[in-house]
Amino acid sequence: MTDKAKSDVSRGGLGRRPFIAGGGGLLAAVLAGARPARAQNAARKATLVIGLDISDSISLDPARVAQYSNPLPCHAAYDSLVTFSPGDYVNIKPALATEWAMQADGKTLRFKLRQGVKFSTGTPMTAEDVRFSFERVINLKDQPQQYIAHVDSMKVVDDHTVDMLLKDPTQPILSIIAAPEFIVMEKAVAVQHGATDAADAKEKDKATDWLNANSCGTGPYRLTGWQRNQSIQMVRNDQYWGGKPGYERVLIRHMSESAAQLLAIKRGDIDVAFNLIPEQVATLKDDPDIRVEGATSLDFIYMAVAESADNPALRNKKARQAIGYAIDFDGIIKNLIGGHAVRPVSFIPVGMNGSTSELTKEIGFREDLPRAKKLLAEAGLPDGFSFQLAYGNAAIAGVSYQNLAQKIQADLARVGIKAELAPMDQLNMRTMYLGGKAQAVLTFWNPPAPENQLWAAATIDRVSKRVHWDVPAAVRKLVNDASAERDNAKSAVLWKQYQEAMVDAAHHFVLIQPIYQIAVRKSVAGLQLTAAGWMTELAGAKPA
Amino acid sequence: MLRYVVSRLGLSVVMVLLATLVIFLIANTVPGDPVLMQLGDLAASNPATVAEFRHHWGLDLPLWHRYWIFLDGMLHGDFGESLVSRRPVLRDIADYAPATVELASIAFVLSLAVGLPLGILAAVRRDSWIDHLARAVSLIGVSAPTFWLAFVVLAIFYGWLDIAPGPGRLDPVSFPPTPITGLLLIDTAWLGDWDTFRDAAAHLVLPSIVLAGSTLGLITRTTRAAMLEALSQDYVRVARAKGLRGRAVVTGHALPNAMLPVVTLGGLAYANLLAGAVMTETVFSWPGLGRYTFTSAVAVDFPAIMAITTIVAIVFVAVNFLVDLSYALLDPRVLKR
Repeated sequence: MTDKAKSDVSRGGLGRRPFIAGGGGLLAAVLAGARPARAQNAARKATLVIGLDISDSISLDPARVAQYSNPLPCHAAYDSLVTFSPGDYVNIKPALATEWAMQADGKTLRFKLRQGVKFSTGTPMTAEDVRFSFERVINLKDQPQQYIAHVDSMKVVDDHTVDMLLKDPTQPILSIIAAPEFIVMEKAVAVQHGATDAADAKEKDKATDWLNANSCGTGPYRLTGWQRNQSIQMVRNDQYWGGKPGYERVLIRHMSESAAQLLAIKRGDIDVAFNLIPEQVATLKDDPDIRVEGATSLDFIYMAVAESADNPALRNKKARQAIGYAIDFDGIIKNLIGGHAVRPVSFIPVGMNGSTSELTKEIGFREDLPRAKKLLAEAGLPDGFSFQLAYGNAAIAGVSYQNLAQKIQADLARVGIKAELAPMDQLNMRTMYLGGKAQAVLTFWNPPAPENQLWAAATIDRVSKRVHWDVPAAVRKLVNDASAERDNAKSAVLWKQYQEAMVDAAHHFVLIQPIYQIAVRKSVAGLQLTAAGWMTELAGAKPA
Repeated sequence: MLRYVVSRLGLSVVMVLLATLVIFLIANTVPGDPVLMQLGDLAASNPATVAEFRHHWGLDLPLWHRYWIFLDGMLHGDFGESLVSRRPVLRDIADYAPATVELASIAFVLSLAVGLPLGILAAVRRDSWIDHLARAVSLIGVSAPTFWLAFVVLAIFYGWLDIAPGPGRLDPVSFPPTPITGLLLIDTAWLGDWDTFRDAAAHLVLPSIVLAGSTLGLITRTTRAAMLEALSQDYVRVARAKGLRGRAVVTGHALPNAMLPVVTLGGLAYANLLAGAVMTETVFSWPGLGRYTFTSAVAVDFPAIMAITTIVAIVFVAVNFLVDLSYALLDPRVLKR
């Protein structure tokens, strides 16, 4: 191709169409120079290039992380006291803390720190760094603080022991502080760049600018730069306590379009593509250089149905239950997301304690048209009813709300329920829903941490207001008891009862819990996906 | 001349202010609540957090007061902090603008370099193959949706033929130089970093062609129409009758007179390229203003929206102003009126 274009130049240089041939030749010349031996050279092999849409990231200062993509680099640069291993979101694993125990007073959680951990500067990590990091989060009062609002203070016991004083020990804490917001940073370095953990940190802390482009943690990689909507650069942390990381550099390249990511991974410009939709993943099946990896997420798309003042039918529990038995759930998962999804009973995703796909078959909603018709008759609405279904003009995990709404509309029509579709701007939809003005909405839920209490509390405190559900005292007690129960087997029983209550109330119909799929070039080994909130464990990634 | 300049300048300032006022009012009638876009589900359900957020961003003030704050800030060169990025808006814009300016300028030069000669030749050799070619090029350029065109060229030249680089401003593993102007071509040339220069230039090829598409079509058609009209004028016939060569008649007599509408259109087209590269920037992961504008609008990020509106209005008004001035230079009759 290039040679041909070049000969065009010599042939047509002074001819009667100089601008066409000349322009084409210039183009070819520029393009020819642009394709150096990309993937071949050694520097490229020692670099892991990740294609990811990072346009949502506001900050890489862990204490201000509240978006979808920024936990990934934060988790790579820093470690938490405890963590989750990929695939297991029930059992807490040690990280910077090797053991922890509730003290006799019932509200002090004592952590023993790992020996021999050094920050990327080479300085050993101490209990004071832990205390500083947590108190900074608390006093910065940015979004992460709300999830540890029940932490009163931190106290250094000795160099490798730190106490966490809790205001309310019944609230879960360990599963929450596994998130990359609650990491340990090197106090001396952070302070040098303007950080403070004092009570007035909200006004006085000036370290975010520096932390947006640098890091001072113990993680496998160290942040060295961030150009917004362009790329995030990291280099290997040679001091990493978990063994030598496999790459010299990690580059996160911003790619907003999934189609562009697909092209880039096929060409080898990126090694990992995160934002592919199921149709695109399917085209990679036969590619000899690429493998597809999946992990069941903890996110889900659901339909909320409110006891709307404008719609008497929706205030009838049996009518709402009829909706749940008229939806073709399996068809939705099979046709709209290529089968790459599971479905929980209710608001606790599959994979969490007390929630499995089997349980959904047992106690969840399922397609049962005679039962739906019977429920409608019992509700005094044998001919069905109509309601407005609002959704944003958007797509999640490759599923467009529009297609989903149309499928539900068609499903419900089979029993005489008429869904009037109301597509709108995503922000308007959220305004309407949070204001309690929607009859029904299709929307999405992703949790800040894998913790049952966060989902359950949302349904009885916040989401219940949006759907005008007067939560029975028994359900509230159930959620409180289940959250406070520290024995997983016992709490699983309580969570099952909670899910049964949610099905009975019939305000939430969870439709799709996606199995996220990413494409990885076979030149990369050891990259593990996780649904715990930070997408992937980079520590084990290495050239194959 | 001076009076002409001053009156135009005065009018320009009024236009900019009007534009900001209109956008401010429109953005305020959107039913979506900007608070909900910024706060997580937990925070958005806490009335105290919401109230504090409103207060911090001045969303609890009366409309006129907020507009006054905006005007006051603008006079001091301060557009406030973006709700989305939590950084001064001007810093965001300074980060994103160079990528867009570079892309739009290359696209503009490209559409002029191809569109002008093509339009002139199409007029001179009316109904010849080149006229048909020009018609086809402009038809495709104007009517092909940018989004589609961007994917198609990316799929063909990057995905299939592998002769063009992929999305982004630089190769995935190469780093931008420390910004001087932020325009990669100028910065790398200044530093003598020719490898990165070539890389940046190559990454500009596909997006600039895509972006140039619609402008190119418009310029070609306008040039052709204006040239056809000029070529049928009496003075052209006189020039030909005097025995001047065809080329001299075209470039010396017809072209200058045909340039007036092309200059008008070209100016606006450039301003348009600067403001309207959202689709191209999205597909090519171009870290530019178009994308920033889009996300700001979706999030009802008032400070960002207002700053962008002001800047776009200033660009348009400035371009118009320059176009008006160039009228005066191109056509002396303008001043006499």
